[in-house]
Amino acid sequence: MKFEDETQNLKVRVAVIHGLVLAILVVLGARLYFLQVISGGYYAERAENQRVRRLRIPAPRGAIFDRTGKLLVDSRSTYNIVLSGEDMKGKDWNELVAPLSEGLDADPGLLRERLNEASHQAAFEEVTVKEGATPADISWVEAHTLELPMLLVREQPQRRYPSNGTLAHVLGYVGEISPEQLKQPRFKDPEVNPFVKDNPYHSGDIIGQEGLESTYDRYLRGRDGYREVEVDSRGRIQRDLAVVAPQPGQDLVTTIDLDLQLTAEEQLRNSPNKRGVIIVIEPQSGELLAMASYPTYDPNLFSQRISTPEGRREANALLRDPTTPLFNRAIRGRYPPGSTWKIPMAVAGLQQGAITLKNSHLVCGGGIQIGNKFTRCMGHHGSPELHTAIRVSCDGYFYRLGLKMGLDGIMQMVDEFDLNKKTGVDLPHELVSWTPSREFKARFNPHDAEWKDIDTVYASFGQVYDFVTPLAMLRAQAAIANGGRLYVPHLLKEAKPVSAVGPFAARPRQTFDHPDPKLLDIPADQHQLVVGGMWAVVNEPGGTGGAARVQGFDVAGKTGTAQVVGLGKDTGKNKDHSWFVSYAPAFKPEIAMIALIENVGFGGKFAAPAVHNIYQSYLSRAHPELAPRPATAEVARKQ
Amino acid sequence: MVAILEKGRLRDFDWLLTLLAAAIAAFGTWMIYYAQPDQGYWKKQLIGLGISLVVMLTVAFTDYRKLVHIAPAFYIFGLLLLVVVLVPRIGLKINGQRCWIGVPGLGQFQPSEFMKIPTVLMLARYFGRPRHSTLTIKETIMGCAILALPVGLIMLEPDAGQSITYFPLLAVVLFLSSVRMWLVIAALVLGTASVPAAWYAGVKTGAIKPYQQERINVILDPENADRRGFGYHTWQSILTVGKGGLTGSATKGDASQSKLKFLPEPHTDFIFSVTAENTGFIGCVLLLLAYAVLLTKLIHGARRAPDRTGMLVIMAIVGGLAFQIFINVGMALGMLPVIGVPLPLMSAGLSAILSTSVAIGFAISIRLRRFVN
Repeated sequence: MKFEDETQNLKVRVAVIHGLVLAILVVLGARLYFLQVISGGYYAERAENQRVRRLRIPAPRGAIFDRTGKLLVDSRSTYNIVLSGEDMKGKDWNELVAPLSEGLDADPGLLRERLNEASHQAAFEEVTVKEGATPADISWVEAHTLELPMLLVREQPQRRYPSNGTLAHVLGYVGEISPEQLKQPRFKDPEVNPFVKDNPYHSGDIIGQEGLESTYDRYLRGRDGYREVEVDSRGRIQRDLAVVAPQPGQDLVTTIDLDLQLTAEEQLRNSPNKRGVIIVIEPQSGELLAMASYPTYDPNLFSQRISTPEGRREANALLRDPTTPLFNRAIRGRYPPGSTWKIPMAVAGLQQGAITLKNSHLVCGGGIQIGNKFTRCMGHHGSPELHTAIRVSCDGYFYRLGLKMGLDGIMQMVDEFDLNKKTGVDLPHELVSWTPSREFKARFNPHDAEWKDIDTVYASFGQVYDFVTPLAMLRAQAAIANGGRLYVPHLLKEAKPVSAVGPFAARPRQTFDHPDPKLLDIPADQHQLVVGGMWAVVNEPGGTGGAARVQGFDVAGKTGTAQVVGLGKDTGKNKDHSWFVSYAPAFKPEIAMIALIENVGFGGKFAAPAVHNIYQSYLSRAHPELAPRPATAEVARKQ
Repeated sequence: MVAILEKGRLRDFDWLLTLLAAAIAAFGTWMIYYAQPDQGYWKKQLIGLGISLVVMLTVAFTDYRKLVHIAPAFYIFGLLLLVVVLVPRIGLKINGQRCWIGVPGLGQFQPSEFMKIPTVLMLARYFGRPRHSTLTIKETIMGCAILALPVGLIMLEPDAGQSITYFPLLAVVLFLSSVRMWLVIAALVLGTASVPAAWYAGVKTGAIKPYQQERINVILDPENADRRGFGYHTWQSILTVGKGGLTGSATKGDASQSKLKFLPEPHTDFIFSVTAENTGFIGCVLLLLAYAVLLTKLIHGARRAPDRTGMLVIMAIVGGLAFQIFINVGMALGMLPVIGVPLPLMSAGLSAILSTSVAIGFAISIRLRRFVN
């Protein structure tokens, strides 16, 4: 010190301050070392994460075509407003309800419900606040990015289905994957579904929920791309860092022939009750050409409008509708087959030797007396051979055939034609038919559980113990038509290949993985006899199916009239179901079909004409030379 | 002014100190450029640096004793400015604080920044007389009064950050004016003990508001605090500092925390975070070393001061600068809550760099006169 001031330890005190100052700097340096050198990597990553965001670019879903290349389903772009979970941490969700419902003109109750659901989800990424946003909604969101940075506009391809319900049950619909679905093995376990390895499912994904959309979701679904962007603290995009283009899904070509499908639907629409099912199949391959179930519904309801309150009401009304429009009658309707059942019975009777080619006569007797109960036939046919019994649909003949075969013989027939199994069609939710057996009776009628001869009688003409799905019955009939090859009916012709995009490998063409047909042992002469009977049903005098006749085309068929309730009460809405099963040409079949019109009465009167009209439609394109020309008088009238 | 050209003076002039201060300020300007390359702050700071050098030299070549002699005039003038700044329409309100006076053509200046100089001079003048006894109560009260006037006025702005930077000035002066050692130790112990107690009582009674608690929580446990709310500044600053790593990431300027506006106030309060991000641990340590050398040189000058007054002026300046460095860098490193205190010679702001330059000018002036008595 220049000045003398030693008494107060001034030197020491200055030194203390000096030491303190240096100590402070050392402490700061130590903290710096910890933050930058020890934890630098960690913080750099955290800083990187808040800077970089990935915006999903949804992949276009594959379109669906009919077998001739006509478009059935495609997608168009719409916009959704979503709430990003990243920006919601620690925020009160309920505070958002009021501004959002006001700004986006959304129902507050519904909004609260959605936010509530999302906020309780553990691995939550984002929740859709509004679908199908209007340009006004989008500009509202853009104007409020400062106050509501969690709102984002997402482009969302929207599925477009025929709105009149054409093919609804076959196509199905798409919808957002549910939290429950995300937990199912088929959506997450590569062991169960190998496709999830390449293309995992995430919450918010739109997936096929019904029909072909569901069965072939793995082909239809593309692989989402993304845009990696740098954002500032407000989430505003500064620049693109990387773009990975999405790979579109594979287009599906179905086996459906749209013209036949429309004709089939028209037949059902024009039927008295507008209820029923028509299926058309190619008997030489199992390809389904048409599958119409009526009444039908608009799949766009489930893919678009379901999230709105009106949409939910509409869907609830559909669920409660007693005519079950959502129900695919072709694979989920179990109906007594009536006399169509007689055809597999006839084939099995011959196979099992209950009747022979040389002697196929059985007594009709106008009916049969079992114990104290007489079950009558619709007519008195004397003692017909098989050809006549089929042609006139003689019940008495088949009562006795059934008794000769016995329950075990009938069960053997059921097993041979796979009537007690799923057909394996490529649609979800197929049901198994109910077929006669001792167990079935015990379950069906527990008060009188023992199988008796009268039960065999009932089981042999397609009533009481027989409830088959139309598709299972058609499959069996098609196998009889083609001489014994039981194909798996299917709707997929091919999934078209998609070339590689960016990091995504090419996806090869896919076809229906046909299992080989199950071969039935139907000797040619026996086949000839049964098919001859079916040809006679349509083309011989006295045949029950004359209404299905087509000039120049050998249509074979069999009517069926399925009792819904006991005789005498079969009026009004309890009328019998009208069946017609058919194929053509009889000895070289290229098309087979089944028609069921609900609660209208005799099979020959309603189902057979419907089948006739479908043949006409088929012929006009497949064999134009055979198609009936308008009569001269008709031409004159048109001019 | 002729005197300053005397050979002896030039030989004694502390060139190193001047160069060091100028170098830190130039480095700061570079960092301001990184923080806000699109804004004109770094140009303003460059102009400020030029003016500051002139002012620093002017003060350095003026006899500090004359200035100490008329310190009361500066002090009263400063107090007047602090009153004027409170008048609406003259004082500019920014972020809820009325701290600035607009000067046409020059921008705005902050009286609370300049008031530190007269306060230091007043304290040095009052406590600078030769001592023969320990500190009396009367002296303590006088010191507190000198401090209380400007601090009280600054609290009315209100600018808590500025006002706490005044306390170390008094603390250093009292410490060097024979305050009894046991009093110092007792105060330290009591102070240390009372912090947790006050915290507990404050939380219980609600005197410490939840957002204030959050600001503390983010320091104690940054990972689990409200990082998007009141803990945002601290958390982002920690990220920015950590991201710099060993060598910094100046080359990747596009993605910087300040450019993307994640880091708030990057050119002023958080200039150290920007430095950390761009120059890394190496740059930061060099900066801290520069401060250490600067402060050591100042203390060295204080030891050789010709009189108590000069010694007290320099030591009060040292205390003030060290305290500001500690508060600012501590805040940037997530060790201290967010308090708006500029980093000396680094933060953008004409007032701050000017007042620091004036302070260093005093230190040089005192050293120049070490052989004159």
